[in-house]
Amino acid sequence: MDLAALGLTLRLATLTTLCLLALATPLAAFIARKDRISTRLLQAAIALPLVLPPTVLGFYLLVAMGPATPLGRALMHVLGHPLAFTFAGLVVGSVIFSLPFAVLPLVLGFQSVDPALTGTASVLGASPLTVFRRITLPLARNSFLAAAVLTFAHTVGEFGVVLMIGGDIPGVTRTLSISIFDQVQELNYTAANRTSLVLIAGSFLALLLLYARRSSRRNTDA
Amino acid sequence: MPELLFPHHKLSVEATLGPLHLRARFELRAPWTVIFGPSGSGKSSLLQAACGLIPEAKVDFYRRTSPAPSIKPEDLKPGALIGNFIVWNPLGSQPTYRRALAYAPQHAALFPHLSTGDNVRFPSQVSSQSTQNPTLVDEAIELFQLHNLIHRKPAQLSGGERRRVALARAFAVPNCRLMLLDEPFTGLDRKLRGELLPKMQAWLSARNIPVLSVTHDVDEALMLNAQVIHLEDGCVTAQGPPREILAQERDRLLETLR
Repeated sequence: MDLAALGLTLRLATLTTLCLLALATPLAAFIARKDRISTRLLQAAIALPLVLPPTVLGFYLLVAMGPATPLGRALMHVLGHPLAFTFAGLVVGSVIFSLPFAVLPLVLGFQSVDPALTGTASVLGASPLTVFRRITLPLARNSFLAAAVLTFAHTVGEFGVVLMIGGDIPGVTRTLSISIFDQVQELNYTAANRTSLVLIAGSFLALLLLYARRSSRRNTDA
Repeated sequence: MPELLFPHHKLSVEATLGPLHLRARFELRAPWTVIFGPSGSGKSSLLQAACGLIPEAKVDFYRRTSPAPSIKPEDLKPGALIGNFIVWNPLGSQPTYRRALAYAPQHAALFPHLSTGDNVRFPSQVSSQSTQNPTLVDEAIELFQLHNLIHRKPAQLSGGERRRVALARAFAVPNCRLMLLDEPFTGLDRKLRGELLPKMQAWLSARNIPVLSVTHDVDEALMLNAQVIHLEDGCVTAQGPPREILAQERDRLLETLR
């Protein structure tokens, strides 16, 4: 078991989840509120990582972060080094790659809040922001848990994007899934098996947490 | 009849909602105005449009900014300036939350994550009004006899209890200018309704808050002694005292009792 890789993976997944919840909440609120061409376009763009091969996404991120683009040059200028092959670059890639896993549950959660409740709240004097904070957010709180668990688990499990933009630098960008790949290449099946079992158990526990909370809430709130 | 000379509010709503063409225009001439009509005539939609909850509706909504008993009725034209205040203050263009309305919707729409007490407190907590009556919430809870239910969530309430909480929440809107009640007594038994009505009317007249309510109950309209607006297929077909407007309905009811 590669403990450095485990620590790195947990750190990456936690950071990605926190960044994504902050980023996805306003995006999801915007998508859930209006049904326009612009929201459809946005939703399709956000869902793109679901269907795109991770290598495609990783390739373009690698190019974007490199000296070939103005963005990459600006980043190099600010940071003093390229963003690719660093932990920060990995976080940026993970945030983009896991975006749909955070946004889509939140959109569903926000849309499931009865418009009669939000409408009544606004007639009673609550501004749109207050309605969102006092009514929509608390009623959609379960979807935040779903978004967090899915994002975390998905980030732990990602491979293609991490390999493309992170390379395989021990302690910097080598995550658990890449460590398994290395172990298999070294024909060290015992180690690969141990790491894989840890991931299976972790993923299962995360999903169990999600479903257990859901059914207990349904029982108390109904 | 001073109410006739100094209407509080003037409302016109135009909207096409599926098969319903809402084309209603009327004035509120009495402290309590009841919209009466068969189901599907657009009663609830009218209230929702007045609240600004139907984006596709064209709503013109005026209210008198301040009472001016010395002016002549012919001066009360929209936008007319008398002294240094505007007679009518258009509401239709204001965002919903700035309209200073109180609203109890048809299906109560209590906030499921909040207790009875927090539901009733909600309007005063979110209000931007700086001058608030600190006892308003307690008075509303008292008026609708909600003491025993104060910590319960809406899921633990009966239909009639939910209705009372929704009414209390509307009554607890600070500095409200107009009360909109959609079928306010659905689910309440007649005895309770008979107890509540005079107390509600006393509360409202003490605060000079006009009411626009919706009902399909002849009995209720007669009891309220309200001005009745008869709505059919989205249009106002008659307006006047209940005995006049509802005579036909009353006769039809009496006929069924024979």
